[in-house]
Amino acid sequence: MAPVTDEQLVERIQQGHIIESPEEMTDDYRRTLIHILTVSADTEMISAPSYYTAARNVPSMNNLISALAIIQDELSHAHIGYRILQDLGVDTEALIYDRPPTQFKHPYAFDVPLRSWIELIVANAFYDRAGFVLLGDVYRNCSYGPWRRALAKVDKEENFHLRHGENGMRRLSATHRDEIQRAIDWMFPITVEWFGLPDHLKTHTKQIAYRLKGSTNDQLRQTWLRTAVPLCESLGFRVPAHYDRASDTYVLDYPLPVDFDEEERRWLMDRPITWDDVLTRWKRRGPGNAMFVEMLQRGRRQMRSLLAVH
Amino acid sequence: MKTIGEEPVYEVFARRVEGEPLRHVGCVAAPADALARVYARSIYDEESWLEMYVVPRRAIIPVESVRGEAVDAHV
Ligand SMILES: [Fe+2]
Ligand SMILES: [Fe+2]
Repeated sequence: MAPVTDEQLVERIQQGHIIESPEEMTDDYRRTLIHILTVSADTEMISAPSYYTAARNVPSMNNLISALAIIQDELSHAHIGYRILQDLGVDTEALIYDRPPTQFKHPYAFDVPLRSWIELIVANAFYDRAGFVLLGDVYRNCSYGPWRRALAKVDKEENFHLRHGENGMRRLSATHRDEIQRAIDWMFPITVEWFGLPDHLKTHTKQIAYRLKGSTNDQLRQTWLRTAVPLCESLGFRVPAHYDRASDTYVLDYPLPVDFDEEERRWLMDRPITWDDVLTRWKRRGPGNAMFVEMLQRGRRQMRSLLAVH
Repeated sequence: MKTIGEEPVYEVFARRVEGEPLRHVGCVAAPADALARVYARSIYDEESWLEMYVVPRRAIIPVESVRGEAVDAHV
């Protein structure tokens, strides 16, 4: 394969060309793909200790079985992402086991520990829905063949996870009303924020030109709202967003972004902040970050030191 | 203990129903054939497959390919 320039590669991709091997990539395409794959694999990976911590509080054996099935899916999704990164020349041993917790690239939402079975259910309905929206977009648009094909499995399973959340909310909506509402109150805005900077502040020209994603942040946020809001409303829960008939879109009832009290897990809807403030909080990472990454890395470290002794 | 990324890669193929072609469903990295089978079965469990196979990537010989040669990652 003759080496191509970035312009030639973009043109090929725009014509529908699917890339199958690193030899076909430009350096910039490879870098951009590695970044977006790392975010994705880290997100799948960190959801395991996050969900597992919450799953320890489940009320029944059946609930534990379904929670563990979801966690096993997430670990498979992480494995698929890191495996593809290896083919791109990334040292995943160091990436997974030697990286400081703050360097992980998952969304901030996963750094705020879930405290109950109810919160795990709402996480399935909100966070796995976000995963479903984001990865569904990659699945339909991605120009890198190996990732795109791998997402057939992921897409199917994320859909199962969000249905698990929806069914749980429906089933518990009569008996655990206040607890679900309290979970929605902090978890709805944290998922809205997850989709990132609005389009007028950030244009993903590179990621979209390379067809590593097909839609913008605002479009993806809108896709999430389109199903998350009706779900909550149909069960009689309050969400800080509503449908606007004139524009046929879902509109937030607060100025995005707003300040978040980490300790209280409460959004200060009357305290608007800038996206720079949000990025600072994201980079500092949240209260569960060190603990969750430690859960992932500890066993490997123990095994290494054991082998070093003998 | 092998470093992750140094383990051989196996391509995973599977068939859902009789008459359907074997389909490439993904890949796993494993230190040995037996573990590759276990990993493939547990990672690619999205269907109840009728048949599933793992093939060492090293054994796949390119005839027409965008790749120059059969390679394991990093090897
Ligand atoms: Fe996942
Ligand atoms: Fe999921």
